[in-house]
Amino acid sequence: MVFCLIAILFPFISAIAILEGVKVQSRVSVNEGADIYVTMDMYGRNGVIPLEMAEGIKKIDGVIKAVPRVISRIYIGSRLAVLLGIPIDEPPSSLSFIKGSIPQRGEIVIGKRMAEDLNMDIGNNLSIGVRVIAIIDHRPYIIKKLYRISGIFDSESSIWTSGLVMMNIDDAISTFEMDGFVTDIAVYVRPGYEVSVSENLQKMNSFFRIQTKDLVKTYVERGFNTKGGIFVALYTVAFALAIPAILVSSGFGLSDRRKEIGILKATGWQTHEVLEMVFFESIILALISAPAAFILSFVWIKLFNGLFIAQIFIAEIGSMPPFPVPSRFMPLPFILSFFFALILTMVGSIYSTWRAAIIPPAEAMR
Amino acid sequence: MIDTEHRTQNTELRSQDNELIRCDGIWKIYNEAKPHEVRALVDVSFVVEKGSFTIFNGPSGSGKTTLISIIGAIDRPSRGRAYLDGKDITDFSDVTLSLLRRKRIGFVFQNFNLVPRLSAWENVSAPLIPQGIREKDRKYRAMQLLDKIGLSDRVHHAPEELSGGEQQRVAIARALVNNPDIIILDEPTSNIDVEAASLLIDILKGLKAEGKTILISSHDEGLFVNADIIFEIRHGHLAGSWVPLVHR
Repeated sequence: MVFCLIAILFPFISAIAILEGVKVQSRVSVNEGADIYVTMDMYGRNGVIPLEMAEGIKKIDGVIKAVPRVISRIYIGSRLAVLLGIPIDEPPSSLSFIKGSIPQRGEIVIGKRMAEDLNMDIGNNLSIGVRVIAIIDHRPYIIKKLYRISGIFDSESSIWTSGLVMMNIDDAISTFEMDGFVTDIAVYVRPGYEVSVSENLQKMNSFFRIQTKDLVKTYVERGFNTKGGIFVALYTVAFALAIPAILVSSGFGLSDRRKEIGILKATGWQTHEVLEMVFFESIILALISAPAAFILSFVWIKLFNGLFIAQIFIAEIGSMPPFPVPSRFMPLPFILSFFFALILTMVGSIYSTWRAAIIPPAEAMR
Repeated sequence: MIDTEHRTQNTELRSQDNELIRCDGIWKIYNEAKPHEVRALVDVSFVVEKGSFTIFNGPSGSGKTTLISIIGAIDRPSRGRAYLDGKDITDFSDVTLSLLRRKRIGFVFQNFNLVPRLSAWENVSAPLIPQGIREKDRKYRAMQLLDKIGLSDRVHHAPEELSGGEQQRVAIARALVNNPDIIILDEPTSNIDVEAASLLIDILKGLKAEGKTILISSHDEGLFVNADIIFEIRHGHLAGSWVPLVHR
């Protein structure tokens, strides 16, 4: 019974811990990122923005720096990756995790996981597919370019860098043949200037799409809440399915349990006393299984880096995560798991116990 | 020697001063009004005296166990009335019956019905748990009883580690732990060897000497010599009663 409960609670605690961990890391990333992201409005969507706009934005009062970026999806073999092109004189904080050197023209830095998958190391050349030019007989013909790997994000880097390819912004512009344009401009402002800078940006060009840090935070929170909501919904379904399983395993009609209750009744126990005993048993089971599941989850994530289970909650990382799986163990999931275990055992045992206890003991023991 | 000449058909109820148990027209029907209906007891009436050693004799399937289950308040009759000390217990509530079993009746089942996951002393003391008795005191009481029946070296053993005779003695100790005045044993010699049966008879004699009323369902004639009265059960009917010669 305890193992059954641990098996039910373990994924719940692990999932919440990983989701919370990723959420915290996302918040940190957003906080460390730019204060405002500027793109052009293209029919309500984000469109490329002229590179020269960065110079104009830098002149707005309160702006510390405006960093043009190229962000896009690329294919390396059949693997989808995110390409980030940035000016090398404006390195982001993630660059401190690079083993090797910052990419110069014709060079890239890739994630550790990608390097392992492709069996690549610093100094190797990597072909990157950037654009499909034709599909003939259902086969895509892709323009590929060759880059030298100058560095690899090491294992201490965040989850975002594991599938990332970073290159010099000039290379990125040339790769995507978007001369004079970038995908967005990251604007860093002095504290308290967010609103005024946003207003001035909008005045500067009414076609600017302006996304502030708060807005990005809201998107991120909403995304995680949706993810968490979906997981909780799925878990609720699994939980509901677990109830009949527990019912069966805990003695719904099982002769041993029924007989034991009959014996107790025959020796003078009253129905409510038998139910009290089962209630305390349920509490003890919950008290054992909830911390055990919590400890197992903690050990599995911290010691084994979420082996096999992290991939369920973090996309495209494989069974052995190439980076420290972010996790955060909060008291609420622990308390919830205790109550889940209690509800499961109670539902599984109280009704069957009551059924066995209200019939004559001779019948229960038969 | 058992005097079979003195068998009687005296199933009429006679009011007795020391009457303890009275069954009046007891029926037990399983699956009543269904195609597979079984009449386990049919219109059974008798009286058991206080402090007596009573045996219900009959072949397997005759209804002995059903009858002593009703007397022991662990089953209810389909029809008829059962009285204890003149009180009709037939319609007692579940709570009242539980309290009756706790205070007055000790039951030893044919297959002992010990809880496998509990040790010998825990099995013995289990009936004391709902009475709020502290574990220390429960254990002391269980140890006393186990010592009394010669099992002081088996107190921590699980039922599966005990022989049939030892398990039965644990079951007897459990039946005695609440100090009831009625001890009921179902086929007590059917699952034990001769030596254990001999020890059992000594224990039962001792209990009778203490003034306890003993009711046994058995077809073991070795026990008959100790009985004050033997009721014959045949196909669910009370076929008669008789008194062994030694008591005449």
